Amino acid sequence: MTEFIILIIKLILIIAVSVGMVPFLIYFERKFAGFFQSRMGPTYAGPWGSLQSFGDMAKLMSKEDLVPAAADGPVFRIAPYILFVPAFVSMTLIPFGPMDVDIFGYNVDLVVSSFDAGVILFLALGSLAVYGPVFGGWASNNNWALLGALRSGAQMVSYEISMGLAVVGVIVMANTLNFVDIVDAQAGGFWNWFFIPQLVGFVIFFVASIAELNRDPFNLAEAEQELVAGYMTEYSGMRWGIFMFGEYVNMVVMSAVISTIFMGGWRAPFEFLDVIPGFIWLVGKMLFFIFLYMWIRWTLPRYRYNQLMDIGWKIFLPLAIANLAVTALIISVV
Amino acid sequence: MGLKDILKSSTFYEILQGMSVTGSYFVGEKVTVEYPKEQIPPFERFRGVQCLISDPETGELNCDACHICATICPSNCIFIESSEGPDGTKQLDSFVIDLTRCIFCGFCEEACPRAAIAMTSAFEFCTYNKNDLILTKDWLVENQKNLHKELRKR
Repeated sequence: MTEFIILIIKLILIIAVSVGMVPFLIYFERKFAGFFQSRMGPTYAGPWGSLQSFGDMAKLMSKEDLVPAAADGPVFRIAPYILFVPAFVSMTLIPFGPMDVDIFGYNVDLVVSSFDAGVILFLALGSLAVYGPVFGGWASNNNWALLGALRSGAQMVSYEISMGLAVVGVIVMANTLNFVDIVDAQAGGFWNWFFIPQLVGFVIFFVASIAELNRDPFNLAEAEQELVAGYMTEYSGMRWGIFMFGEYVNMVVMSAVISTIFMGGWRAPFEFLDVIPGFIWLVGKMLFFIFLYMWIRWTLPRYRYNQLMDIGWKIFLPLAIANLAVTALIISVV
Repeated sequence: MGLKDILKSSTFYEILQGMSVTGSYFVGEKVTVEYPKEQIPPFERFRGVQCLISDPETGELNCDACHICATICPSNCIFIESSEGPDGTKQLDSFVIDLTRCIFCGFCEEACPRAAIAMTSAFEFCTYNKNDLILTKDWLVENQKNLHKELRKR
């Protein structure tokens, strides 16, 4: 019984962390967008404009929730929520600290599920996330929405492959598919983290994750100049807000996964820094990657569609396979 | 694609170059002027709303109601009424500028032989009521506070 209650508490905490970070990420995105363009960003709502995203939320909730007459009603309504499910399920796989910790006299693992095929599950859920944009775009019954959905689908499917192959290098090195064991394999200082031996895989995974998140410079699915707002064209009010919210939740999850696989997860860069709890290290690493996503977004212009596909299929896929082959060779020889 | 290009794109050289530019903007000083809180002062010959200049010691208006400004005004927005004063001189009774017609050309200031009317730096006169834009003598005398600095010496 206590195990069950602890599980529920952990689930609530996971959801609270990943959802609770989002308003602040939206605020930081807008603030940093300003800073990168030598502007101030939001300044009026609250101190330094920190209540801006809550104001946005109030505005979106008070707007009319419009469902186009020609749209496929139920699918149209459910599409925004589909983005959330894979994100939350992926988040349960991420360890936030060591196993068997003593908290208030209870023996707690600081992970919701130490799942043996965690990496596979994460990749499978990443493929499921495609359904959000695709359903939204298809159900809207709108040319731009459909084109945006098709682009989003094609992009996610093609980058999924190089992303998966980039992780396999780490799996070979760690000899496990479990996120908890992958973090354990990176114990010690930062020189044991996988981003050093797997630099090629790390770069491929990071760039592919930008494409998976539909963010600039790979946000072809919502290219304003060509497709109005892509698959979100017909969405308005809070339903549109939930789509945006889902994208930011996905960003949190993706940065958590990158930190866990390549940057040592909750482990400190030096062993004497272990006094700081692992949770803070993980969140710090996540914020670093989120900042990097924002920096890239506000620096680079959008790639052309053929360039996007070229990078995915002609460069990253062969590179990922070569990286896997070299890693496997070295592991089996040494 | 030469070896140099391959090296460049594989090390993300150009992307990192761009990111260093945005990064320097990120830490650098921001160019935003938060308008209602802070303002850029208008340049020295900016032609804002007119004012009537009075003698700083006696408080007497420089204007002697000669009607030259009203005559030269291309949009006929200056209305002057005058009468004979107790000592036989011309006396200014009312001086009205219809700001809804004024084109801020500054001819009134240039034509005035006694430097009695001048354009100021005031440009914030938004209002919900059009009647607020019919400026009376008192308003124009009060508006001297917005006079350009170098004109105040006269």
